[in-house]
Amino acid sequence: MAAQTNPTASRQSRWQKANGILLFALGSMLFAGITVSAQRGAGPGPAAAPNPAIGNPQAIAEGERLYNETCTSCHGKDGTGGELGPPVAAQNRRYLRRTDQEIFDTIKNGNVGTQMPPYAGQFTDDQIWRITAYIRGLRGTAIDTPAAGDVAGGEAIFWSKGNCGGCHMVKGKGSILGPDLSNLAGSRKVQNIVDALTKENHKIAADGGTHDTTLLPMMTYQPVRITTADGKVISGILKNEDSFSLQVLGKDDLNLYRFKRNNVKVFYDPQSLMPHDWDKRLSPAEFQNLLAFLTRLFVPPPPAPPARGGGGGVG
Amino acid sequence: MQGIMRNILTASLLLLVGAVVTAQVTDKDLLNPDPNDYLLYSGTYDSQRHSLLKQINTSNVGRLQAKWIFHLTGAKDLEAPPIVHKGVMYVGQYNRVHALDAATGRLIWEHFRQPPSVGWQRGIGIYGDMVYMIGQDSALVALDRRTGNPIWEARPSQPGKRFQGPMPFAAKGMIIVSGSGQGGGFIEAFDALTGKSRWWWNSIPKPGEPGNETWAGESWRNGGGPVWVSGSYDPQLNLIYWGTGQPTPDFVGDNREGDNLYTDSIVALDIDTGKMKWHFQNTPHDVHDWDSNEMPILLDAPFNGQMRKLLLQANRNGIYYVLDRTDGKFLRGVPFVSKVDWLSGLSPEGRPILTPGHEPTVQGAKTCPSTAGATNFPSPAYSPDTKLFYLIAQEGCGITYRSTTNFRPGQGGSGTAYMESPDDRERWQLYVRALDAVTGKKVWDYEQISSFHYGPGLLSTAGGLIFAPEQQGMFTALDAKSGKPLWNFNTGALITAAPTTYTVDGQQYIALAAFSNVIAFALPEGN
Repeated sequence: MAAQTNPTASRQSRWQKANGILLFALGSMLFAGITVSAQRGAGPGPAAAPNPAIGNPQAIAEGERLYNETCTSCHGKDGTGGELGPPVAAQNRRYLRRTDQEIFDTIKNGNVGTQMPPYAGQFTDDQIWRITAYIRGLRGTAIDTPAAGDVAGGEAIFWSKGNCGGCHMVKGKGSILGPDLSNLAGSRKVQNIVDALTKENHKIAADGGTHDTTLLPMMTYQPVRITTADGKVISGILKNEDSFSLQVLGKDDLNLYRFKRNNVKVFYDPQSLMPHDWDKRLSPAEFQNLLAFLTRLFVPPPPAPPARGGGGGVG
Repeated sequence: MQGIMRNILTASLLLLVGAVVTAQVTDKDLLNPDPNDYLLYSGTYDSQRHSLLKQINTSNVGRLQAKWIFHLTGAKDLEAPPIVHKGVMYVGQYNRVHALDAATGRLIWEHFRQPPSVGWQRGIGIYGDMVYMIGQDSALVALDRRTGNPIWEARPSQPGKRFQGPMPFAAKGMIIVSGSGQGGGFIEAFDALTGKSRWWWNSIPKPGEPGNETWAGESWRNGGGPVWVSGSYDPQLNLIYWGTGQPTPDFVGDNREGDNLYTDSIVALDIDTGKMKWHFQNTPHDVHDWDSNEMPILLDAPFNGQMRKLLLQANRNGIYYVLDRTDGKFLRGVPFVSKVDWLSGLSPEGRPILTPGHEPTVQGAKTCPSTAGATNFPSPAYSPDTKLFYLIAQEGCGITYRSTTNFRPGQGGSGTAYMESPDDRERWQLYVRALDAVTGKKVWDYEQISSFHYGPGLLSTAGGLIFAPEQQGMFTALDAKSGKPLWNFNTGALITAAPTTYTVDGQQYIALAAFSNVIAFALPEGN
């Protein structure tokens, strides 16, 4: 199954602009009045010289317009990666250029040795700061705008009523069938988390957009049912496959399996193992609290390594 | 007496050594290449990519082994088919060439140009005693093929133009390269020995030139029609056949009403003068970022009972075209993927009959095939043994967006579209697809499971095999008649190039550039 770009990504940037009011599909009445201030551009990365466009919605909107006119054919819609260039704001991606200054410099001076040209002649410094602020905003994740609610109550729902630990792991506790959620708020936007809980067969964009530069394992947690030549049936999650082999994590024994394609029958289950009706299984308050817990699951990036000190010697 | 014998012996040895050293690549060689060499991007001028070598064949390919790997440090996304001449392999990208012993993979020489580059470039040309590289700074660079010494450099003659990445194309004492830049795409021919420009041709006609009237107002100034892949050559007709790219801006056609010639077209140029003899436009007024840069295959075959000189192209827009290559007459056009919804048919002249509602919109419009195309630049192949046309076909649909505001001349990025449809039934999936070459009817499919993005091209051999690399790293040999896989090897990296084949010391090799490595395969010794 191919990983695909997330069509809700564009809606997320507008959520971010709404300064923290989180309106969900289930109804705004539950959440109206709960405000969390947005920190636009406060994505991961060390602080640098202040970007004059940060926190200025009009400047950022201008940055979005300039980006849409100029950058999309290479870098894709909403920075998710295009045909000719890498993503600049795909989720869970490791960025080489993290600070505002690094992004600004790359846009202004280009990236020598690659297809990225300098835009110094085409944009003013001011315009480049605005595009930078827009990109940083795209990179914002749930931890920048965590949901209000009872975090401890949400954690209790996660482990007991929701039994999320039956498939998911947080900081080593739980199971391994579904994605590890330890850094959920550092890698996904709030709307994506809500969609995962409430939308049938919700798909998350893989890293890399359409122009992958590395081979990736599958990101879609595709459930499969394998019937072997001697009639044994193994259900599990597909980790990878090609025309000759499949790599599966068994659902019942959590073992890794390899199957030769010409020896087995494969059923690709169109239904994800993830329940998609948490807004019905939980009361509105319970759902809000669960969200408050989930939107704070964050692993901060490690500090920069210390500069090499004095004294000789290697390593 | 002894002295004379020694002199004769020395003279004979010198003659032998001299014979190897002066093995220049001549026009004659290129017209009828030694099957033990691989001298052109598409193997032969008709671009059939069919090797006559058959030491590796359906009965023994299951035993094919990797023999050596060469790693190009710092490279990625290699798109070069490895060229081999008399046991020396030439492979590279922008700003780098490596010459390897094709039997062992040991490096003989390498040449680097500043700065290090990872751009998409489709390989090293060869002619005479020289090899030809494209510099990222838009230079055509001729190097001595024995040592890599720089001999001459040439730049596009027209100001503001830049070379893109096709393999420099050698024919009739010329090196033909192409690209884009100010005012649009172009093709230019240089003297292979001196680097002097012989002629050039531009994709976008200026006012007064035929075709300029197909651009509303001043929109011809936008440019477009980039030429980033090479083409084919018919020495009897003295014509070269090249494809052009999309009009600018890609996704917004409002200010460029008209057919926008000669974008998205197959053009036939006189190889001596560069004058256009005929053109055929696959997609008039393109708003999907498609193009006609798919390799045209030349074939003489019966059509409706009459022997005809054909040109075959599986186009990005989803249609398989059969043209008469003497005059560009449209003979047949059939879809080669299951969903082609932007047109309902073709006129008797091959002009698309558009279905409304598939132009890019701000909210996103669905198009089948996607912008990535029903196929793309990866090389197709033709086997005279099976009479089948083999290609990498991409099933599925895409979403195309246009920018929120109008296009401003000089700016890029009028939209984006390389996005897969969210409908599971329309997801992108690659197939090696075999078509009857003359009717275009599908004969068999081989699904490249897990691969969804174009990249690798095909090689056909007289051993009855189709060598098909896959985007997600697998390299597979298929039975050319049935499409059944007979051998496979996981190269471990994204592949975006086509394989080549050659012989050294009686051993046939298959070579493939896989991301940043070149790997050579052959049968175990003693086969």
